[in-house]
Amino acid sequence: MAEQITITEDEAALYDRQIRLWGLDAQRRLRASRVLLIGLRGLGAEVAKNIVLAGIKSLTLLDHTVVTEEDACSQFLVPRQDVGKNRAESSLHRVQQLNPMVDVQADISNVGDKPDDYFLNFDVVCATCCTLTLLHRIDEICAAHKIKFFAGDVFGFYGYMFADLGFHEYAEDVQKTKAKENIGEGEPATKKAKIEELETHVVKKSATFTRLSNAFEFDWGTTEGAKKLKRTPNTFFIIQVLLQFMEKFSRRPEVKTLLEDRQALEELTPGVLEKIGLKSDYISPEFARSCFAELSPVCAIVGGVLGQEIIKAVSQKDRPHRNFFFFNGIDGSGLVDQIGD
Amino acid sequence: MAASIFGVFDEVTQNKIISSKVLVVGAGGIGCELLKNLVLSGFPDIEIIDLDTIDVSNLNRQFLFRKEHVGKSKAQVAKESALHFNPDAKITAYHDSIMSSDYDLEFFKKFDLVMNALDNRVARNHVNRMCLAADKPLIESGTAGYLGQVSVIKKTVTECYECQPQAAQKTFPGCTIRNTPSEPIHCIVWAKHLFNQLFGEDDPDQDVSPDTADPELAGEAGKAALESEAKADAAGGIKRKSTQAWAMETGYNAEKLFNKFFRDDIKYLLSMEALWKKRKPPVPLDWNNLPQDVPATTHQVAICDQRLWSVQECADVFAKSLSSLKEELIKQGEGGMLVWDKDDDPAMDFVTSAANIRAHIFGIPSKTRFDVKSMAGNIIPAIATTNAIIAGLIVMEGLKVLREEFDKCKAVFLNRQPNSRKKLLVPCQLEKPNPKCYVCAPKPEVTVILNTHKITVKVLEEKIIKGGLGMVAPDVEIDDGKGTILISSEEGETEENTEKFLEQFGINNGVRLKCDDFLQNYNLTIIIYHRDKLEEDKEFQIIGDVSEIQAKYLEDKENEDKQPNGLTEKQATEAATAVEDEDEVMLVEEEEIQQITVSKKRKHDEEPEVVNGDTVKKQRLISDVAEHYDDIIS
Ligand SMILES: [Zn+2]
Repeated sequence: MAEQITITEDEAALYDRQIRLWGLDAQRRLRASRVLLIGLRGLGAEVAKNIVLAGIKSLTLLDHTVVTEEDACSQFLVPRQDVGKNRAESSLHRVQQLNPMVDVQADISNVGDKPDDYFLNFDVVCATCCTLTLLHRIDEICAAHKIKFFAGDVFGFYGYMFADLGFHEYAEDVQKTKAKENIGEGEPATKKAKIEELETHVVKKSATFTRLSNAFEFDWGTTEGAKKLKRTPNTFFIIQVLLQFMEKFSRRPEVKTLLEDRQALEELTPGVLEKIGLKSDYISPEFARSCFAELSPVCAIVGGVLGQEIIKAVSQKDRPHRNFFFFNGIDGSGLVDQIGD
Repeated sequence: MAASIFGVFDEVTQNKIISSKVLVVGAGGIGCELLKNLVLSGFPDIEIIDLDTIDVSNLNRQFLFRKEHVGKSKAQVAKESALHFNPDAKITAYHDSIMSSDYDLEFFKKFDLVMNALDNRVARNHVNRMCLAADKPLIESGTAGYLGQVSVIKKTVTECYECQPQAAQKTFPGCTIRNTPSEPIHCIVWAKHLFNQLFGEDDPDQDVSPDTADPELAGEAGKAALESEAKADAAGGIKRKSTQAWAMETGYNAEKLFNKFFRDDIKYLLSMEALWKKRKPPVPLDWNNLPQDVPATTHQVAICDQRLWSVQECADVFAKSLSSLKEELIKQGEGGMLVWDKDDDPAMDFVTSAANIRAHIFGIPSKTRFDVKSMAGNIIPAIATTNAIIAGLIVMEGLKVLREEFDKCKAVFLNRQPNSRKKLLVPCQLEKPNPKCYVCAPKPEVTVILNTHKITVKVLEEKIIKGGLGMVAPDVEIDDGKGTILISSEEGETEENTEKFLEQFGINNGVRLKCDDFLQNYNLTIIIYHRDKLEEDKEFQIIGDVSEIQAKYLEDKENEDKQPNGLTEKQATEAATAVEDEDEVMLVEEEEIQQITVSKKRKHDEEPEVVNGDTVKKQRLISDVAEHYDDIIS
């Protein structure tokens, strides 16, 4: 389908600086892709901005929740006076303004109520602000139908993104130094050296991704797990506690219940760790002091990485990060790790 | 806003943000993202400055701008859009150059933190100096395609922006451009020079005619060329007057111009036989007899810019763009001139067609207009996601700066792929200031190698002190005990000096010049090293740290003894004596100086790493990132 899409001169002017980076073919594929974005908090806003600017075909904003005071920390798509209104609907206008050439729609229903075949309308599903149970369900549906699946969230200073692209084929530029003998032959030695240049070859590659459940149910208590653990970012386990909190209370930790949520997180931590084969004090409960609301710069970083991974996935250009990216705003680390296989 | 909601930040950070005043320099790709992050994080008082207006090619990433804003001030529109995110923020926008004297030391002193979101080295150098002078912390940043970096600069604590020599812009030897191009870029540079010769400012460095001083013509071949030079002058009669005056006389006649540059000049080049002994000789073209073959395009593309043109098409575009440019020039009236701009269609058409015609003549592959635009315009590809990540990292570093935790600040690099330690974002320890830095050292000194008989005061001021050393309005006096004033920042005061050679002021080897830039609050001593001839016919060379060159000298001298490096015997002797006289080495090539930077290793984070307890120390080459640290200045 992507092959039939032509880029107009107007689009070429608008997308000039990125076509110079990823080429016309990648832009054509972007232009054909239909994306579902679940969750329109800070991270969702960043992802929406990045992929709409890049020039996808259509974006559906799906969120049944309403704007709160906390959105002022990072959700730049909703007007300040819209507290109490639906997040997807409130975001629609500004998302559309980012790029009139993209078809943008808002859906205010609850993703949990959507039947399986709803997801078949999309090439990419990106789920934020979802519980682990929901993420597992959507991942399985996407895997069964070859839909590219992404998940991500930001809690205060911490954030992550996950990708399950199934069996994914992509093109990668490989650079080789090559002396241009035929032209450089007659050049004096001093000039000849300068004629050596990097040559870019496009290489076709593929990668197979694992399901989200394999990562979250991975047993770190085994010998193999313990070996891997040494090099696994702590942020992964912080995220697990936070997702467990959402599972248990059917909501995120919130600043309006700051103290009790902090305590609940601290209490939840040992159990979450033990369940996946870790010592109950493997991570310090200190993180509970810095995981409230969504920091705008953290959303920008995680949303930037996540947005670029979506662009890579649909344009089938460049090696995707497999399969997690973690950002920890307290220690400043930004790591890619392969967990679950 | 994060800082006005209790529980998001710790109390110290929260209070620092609420009471801060910050400056953002640049409202482009990084600037838009940064402004968003700052207002959402709760920074209450932000000033933003940008000289630029909005272009349609900005809209794929500078998300505070929309189509209806094209042509308007970036700073102003960015302010208005960001106020929607947080109407309580106080944002002051300046549609102006940060290098203007309005933004003096007092201006910079108002801020707790300055953040650069710039795309050129000149402005970066200037803001670096202003922040050093005002003793304000600066966060520097840059992106290129998928890559980016953020760094913190704090006077006396970290390296400044200019502590390490900066890679020089890539240039090509004049004879390659004029006589023996072998790459598309050589033809593109030539075509840009041709544009300036025909429509722009006359610059002797941008001659497009065959170069009879090509070192390859030394000896016998040279004689032949010299003989034929007289012949050519007689035949064409063109060299005696400026190219522009001649073109104007012909009424910018496409046929006449084409036949001069693509037939007669090429025939003349062919007469320099020594050049073509081992090279494929060029084939002159005639306006009335052009090859009709169409270059093979890999596949049909809809975008005109991405299609290769035949020679005939190039000639047609050449003619059409000539007449449009002629009209533009006439509109300017007497003494008018055009400045080449990649976004001006006729100017771009002219360079594409002229470059491809020349490429055809020399058997060099042709390029699409799209590719020529990238190369001729030094376009750095830019995307929203990289800018977003870098702007996020700027704020993360900014929070540490506000808390004055400079020991925790890092230089952070965004890579395309994670490194072997899984790091996609790679933090590096900030370097200590370079004690020999000619900007941030307590008593800055710099060595300039030049020929005092050939360099005028004007060249010293414009190309060396302003261009090379980044001063804006210098006062220069000779450190001769008399305080002879060479250059004054007051207009007209030293005008009578401008055309004189340095030597006429008694400036010779070892003389010290005291330069003072009032705006930058910057004093610099220039030590002059006279040399009769510099390598590659450079006009001058700026050497930040002489000792590093001295260390390299012995090695070089050995090499030189063995191999005269293409110099004639006479030149080699001259050079050798010059070195002895000066007791210093000046034969280090600019590239070697760059090597010093490149091979200098940057220490990786030395703290125990988060990746659980293992404290593997890894070193990271600056060269990994040097290429994308700085946008190329066109
Ligand atoms: Zn310095």
